[in-house]
Amino acid sequence: MANVAEKETINPELPGGLIPLESWRLPETSVHRSIKGALRNTWIQVRAGFSPDDEAFESLDDLPVLSRGQIERFAPDPDYGRIARLLLQSVVESPVNNPVSFLVAPPFSGVRKALTVLADEDSGHSRHLIMPPDNLLMSDSDAREWWDACDFSTPWVIPELASFWLRHRSGLALVRELLRRVAAGEAGEGLIGCSSWCWQFWSYYLPDARFQPLTPAPMDAGKLGLWLGGLGVPSSDSGVVARMADTGLWVLPSDPDVLGEGQKTANFLRDLAALSRGIPGIALGIWQKALRARPEEEQLEPLEKGDHQSVRAQCWVAPLNKLSLPVVPSAAGRGLAFILHALLLHDGLGGDRLELVTGMKGHEAALALNRLLRADLVEYHESDGVWRVTPLGYPAIRRQLQSDGFPVDAF
Amino acid sequence: MGDLDLSGAFSGITTDALLEALFLVVLASILIMLVQNLLPRLAHTLGGKPRLYLLASVPLLRLVVIVVTIILVVPVLVEPSFENMVAIFGALGLALGFAFKDYANSLIAGIVTLYEMPYRPGDWIEVNGQYGEVKSIGTRSAEIVTPDDDVVIIPHSTLWTALIANANDGTDNLMCVTEFHVEPHHDVSAVLSLLRDMAYTSPLVKTWQPVLVTVRNTPYGMQYKVKAYPLAPREQFRFITDLTARGAEALATQGVRMVSVPVAVV
Repeated sequence: MANVAEKETINPELPGGLIPLESWRLPETSVHRSIKGALRNTWIQVRAGFSPDDEAFESLDDLPVLSRGQIERFAPDPDYGRIARLLLQSVVESPVNNPVSFLVAPPFSGVRKALTVLADEDSGHSRHLIMPPDNLLMSDSDAREWWDACDFSTPWVIPELASFWLRHRSGLALVRELLRRVAAGEAGEGLIGCSSWCWQFWSYYLPDARFQPLTPAPMDAGKLGLWLGGLGVPSSDSGVVARMADTGLWVLPSDPDVLGEGQKTANFLRDLAALSRGIPGIALGIWQKALRARPEEEQLEPLEKGDHQSVRAQCWVAPLNKLSLPVVPSAAGRGLAFILHALLLHDGLGGDRLELVTGMKGHEAALALNRLLRADLVEYHESDGVWRVTPLGYPAIRRQLQSDGFPVDAF
Repeated sequence: MGDLDLSGAFSGITTDALLEALFLVVLASILIMLVQNLLPRLAHTLGGKPRLYLLASVPLLRLVVIVVTIILVVPVLVEPSFENMVAIFGALGLALGFAFKDYANSLIAGIVTLYEMPYRPGDWIEVNGQYGEVKSIGTRSAEIVTPDDDVVIIPHSTLWTALIANANDGTDNLMCVTEFHVEPHHDVSAVLSLLRDMAYTSPLVKTWQPVLVTVRNTPYGMQYKVKAYPLAPREQFRFITDLTARGAEALATQGVRMVSVPVAVV
């Protein structure tokens, strides 16, 4: 009965809701898969030292990938407006009763996009957006003046705190002053989204800063099944149906109660949850790469609503070991790692700021960025003019940075 | 107890036994060579703790190979009876006691080194004024490479008498101290927090380790020390360079001038 009650309350768009930061746990996988993954990663790391040419993502199976239209049908981006409403509702219902709430989440969790939508007038919400100034290098007095000029009288939202600082001795003042005001209760009612990497830095820099942050629950196999299943088709439909391309075992629907007798489920979602570290954006990126079509189904017309049998026939999933995800190229120096770490700390940076933060010369940064771009580890976002790491590259990047001794996030 | 007859102990050695023993010794030598060459190379392709663990396993693996070889070779050459063993080890003891005293001293200290681990490959140690990274631990001596790329051989017997300073002691945490000597009459509190920010914002710093800034008066001005940990022990010189450059620039922007000792005093 408890399970039934739980299923009824789980929301497919934000399964698990918000939880305290300390409660977050990495989704588990099988021992076999863990050992295999560790050996594979070590081998990739060793091999990268000898054959640096093999750098980009590739699929190792011969099934055709889905067309863009099919991906948008089966695995589209989530509805951030809906997620924003759910986040806000979860914050309000949370037992943590602070005037300013912190939502800390690993990259690609979708919190930044959702909180940006919160301030969108068309969405019907009443929180105004606080955007960072163009120049983040300022003194303590300048930072005080800047925050004095902000309107804290009505509820406000900062989608990403990482945009308010630079890892430079003059780039810390804004966040330092904001945290002081929040601690002193001088910041009104607000909601602050923060990348887990940025949060980790500030937790070390200001060890006494304790704000009881909340975070979206990690996507384990069950939640992932619910979320991915609900993404692709209207809620009135039965959801996406997917089976393993090699064994025919069922991936979606993931609930054994929905499957018929003799229909066995695959371990794909459990492994996907572990590989993506329970982060929805990364799981979705890998999911999109893993979806396959049969050649004859490429030509089919768009499905009509309610045509369940056709939907079932369309969706196949390549095993994870048939996907060669990006790897971090080997390098003699620390340049590549400096750039990747800086991009994660700031949730994306432009070229000039990247030089300032890493201390690299312009040509060094450009060469390193080009190499990372070719390896599918970073991409340039025209919309805000910054470089960011890619969702598919994130697991390898985090693993490499941790192995190289860099401070990493807690997720 | 019968007579201890050393020549009798070796009387049963045949050509076949000698060849077999030789084969085992050659095989062991090849294994040791592979361990000593391949593992450090593999370790250098890895980073962080896996690198340290792999480097530290080299001398241990070599000891295991040597012990196993002895266990295998001795019964091939001599019948492992009580009398034979006493005869062989007695003769060995005499030879070691007189002819190879210092060598044996180092060998025994080498075994103690593996047990007590005052230093391991990958550690940064200072012995008798020589500072460097332990590259390998041999049977008789350890090799360190100084920052100026000199190889210094340190006999393990030094362990008995010398003071050994180990900067990271088998971990990848090595504290670096960067000093700044500045003129007095400035806002000390502001400089303390400036230098702390400067250290925290270095891309080479381990942020989860403490960053401490201390200050004290000296006859020539004020001495600030920034104590922080680099990402990896081998980054220590680059880290100190980075902190020195950033610190000097930060102090200059605050109008705090460095002091230097007149050449005549030096």
